[in-house]
Amino acid sequence: MDALLTKTESKTAAPVKKQITGAEVLLRCLVAENVKTIFGYPGGAIMPVYDALYHYADQLEHLLVRHEQGAIHAAQGFARATGKTGVVFATSGPGATNLVTGLADALIDSTPLVCITGQVFAHLLGTDAFQEVDVINTTLPATKWNVQVAEAKDIPNAVAKAFYIAKTGRQGPVLIDITKNAQNELIDEFEYKSCEKIRTYRAKPELQQTQVQAAAQLINNAKRPYILAGQGILLSEASAELKAFSEKTGIPVACTLLGLGCFPTDHPNYVGFLGMHGNYGPNILTNECDVLIGIGMRFDDRVTGNVSKYAKQAKVVHIDIDKAEINKIIKTEAFVHADAKEALKALTVACNKNTHAEWIDKFTKLNGTEYEKVIHHEFNATGEIKMAEVIHQLSNLTKGEAVVVTDVGQHQMVTSRYYKLKNPRTHITSGGAGTMGFSLPAAMGAKVGVPEKQVVAVIGDGGYQMTVQELGTIMQYKIPVKILVLNNNFLGMVRQWQQLFHGKRYSFTEMENPDFVKLAQAYNINAAKVEKREDLKSAIQTMLDSKTSYFLEVVVGKEDNVFPMVPAGAGVGDVLLEAPANR
Amino acid sequence: MKQDYTLELESDNNFSVLNRIINILNRRRVRIKKMMAHENESDFRRGGVIMLLHTTADMMDRVKDQLEKLIEVDKVAFYEGSGKYVDLIEQVVDVD
Repeated sequence: MDALLTKTESKTAAPVKKQITGAEVLLRCLVAENVKTIFGYPGGAIMPVYDALYHYADQLEHLLVRHEQGAIHAAQGFARATGKTGVVFATSGPGATNLVTGLADALIDSTPLVCITGQVFAHLLGTDAFQEVDVINTTLPATKWNVQVAEAKDIPNAVAKAFYIAKTGRQGPVLIDITKNAQNELIDEFEYKSCEKIRTYRAKPELQQTQVQAAAQLINNAKRPYILAGQGILLSEASAELKAFSEKTGIPVACTLLGLGCFPTDHPNYVGFLGMHGNYGPNILTNECDVLIGIGMRFDDRVTGNVSKYAKQAKVVHIDIDKAEINKIIKTEAFVHADAKEALKALTVACNKNTHAEWIDKFTKLNGTEYEKVIHHEFNATGEIKMAEVIHQLSNLTKGEAVVVTDVGQHQMVTSRYYKLKNPRTHITSGGAGTMGFSLPAAMGAKVGVPEKQVVAVIGDGGYQMTVQELGTIMQYKIPVKILVLNNNFLGMVRQWQQLFHGKRYSFTEMENPDFVKLAQAYNINAAKVEKREDLKSAIQTMLDSKTSYFLEVVVGKEDNVFPMVPAGAGVGDVLLEAPANR
Repeated sequence: MKQDYTLELESDNNFSVLNRIINILNRRRVRIKKMMAHENESDFRRGGVIMLLHTTADMMDRVKDQLEKLIEVDKVAFYEGSGKYVDLIEQVVDVD
């Protein structure tokens, strides 16, 4: 495309020099970075960029969201589903501060994003100008890196660095704050150079064979080794390498919340989901294994429970790309500071072929106990519909092949437990930050990123209403995402804790909800509500068969609880299969 | 057990880099007893920070790892006690 917002300066006997605005420079940089999709919301301080964008509609698809938080969660969903970097536009002041929740979420969950915010004119910085917020310092602890650009000539370098930083090392969100004068300023046309190195930034650690050999020695001598697989496997696209490693060594694999999907749930070495509401075997046997191998995970407190009671008998091997995660929570006997894919390839060579059938059988037996005491009752309930049976049906009807995007709370844990994932990048949720309101916009972004896949947002009635305005975006762009709300008219997980640990004092957790079906229909989205078990399967099938977006509300038991549960402050070995008798 | 540590850090001299460094300490409630930040005499695009911190050995290890993750930070080292703090300050002052 020829420069659209150009000014031509002609001097005698000199070549014609084309100039373009900083705003157009930005868009050209994005095109050069192979960006196709942007989620955003315009405003005064970013108007030059939006004006330039008007002319780039053939190269950059921009989706106008209904709130900047919706934009950043959509970009997160897009990034997690596609493996690409999500891009967001927002204006200064409140536009930028509305991104903060998503930035914090993306930082802790290692999601690559590049967010562009407009800023007031450089000469107004620090004057409390209209919609001026110190965005750099506001977002500093919530970004992997951020930078303010006050001159158009600095835009290409900032964009190149931003994309490089977001997608390398431990991935994460980056923000570029561009003053309005820099967007308006004319500069000579330029040649974009992508960033390949930053002097002070060690993007990828070099695999150390001594570390690999030390880890392999522990693993080869182990009688009861156990792999905890985290999102690092997905981020480094190492699912095949994990499978090869597990199959050669015979080591059982459990997944963290964000690691779900990195190992097929129907694989004989898969032993379940870890953590506070994880499976019984993986939690109990953490305290019986002799070598614990954490890969691309960070020993989050929802995984470890009380650290003083966590795997004290085990020698811990930790593989992670982020050195700061090693020995942060759990002291290691050996570590490999490396990308998971490279580390697993090297370990597969260095480790002996082995089997651990008896050890895996222990997981199977404990998970059998969980089935008898918990799952069997969830799937064969009478009376109110259980969340578990909804997800069980969804899993069966989609053959575990949909992209499921959850919010935060009971429905999230139930989906993690009962949706039988088969493929990488098919489970998207807010993990470390636990952001209610994540699911609807994230699912929307995921569907934009992988339109060929069935994408289902599974949400509770509380979280749904936190970002429900994005139904407008879904309507406007006809995004055929499926929305499944499990409605118990409660903030269910908080209520569960109030029941179990606060004397059943339901302090401000019961919700009076609107007519969700009418609300969806107001946005021109087909909608239905299910209250009877006999209607459930066909209602889910109808939702899945819909060629357009579809909303399905399932009314579930008001006071259903999620078990197993590791109570707060307890060790993983203290996992409960049911509520204590007096609660 | 908490004790004094001298932290020596070299970095690019960008806007907000000092805030990033302080943020890592503040977030972990690490006490800063003394601090000196400076541009390099030979190249204003580079700089450094010398700090006297009061915290635990375990926390110093964690803080070092976090500081090394900062994009602009080039080198981080720490030493037990406050003796090195005075030496490092004198070196910077001598150069200036």
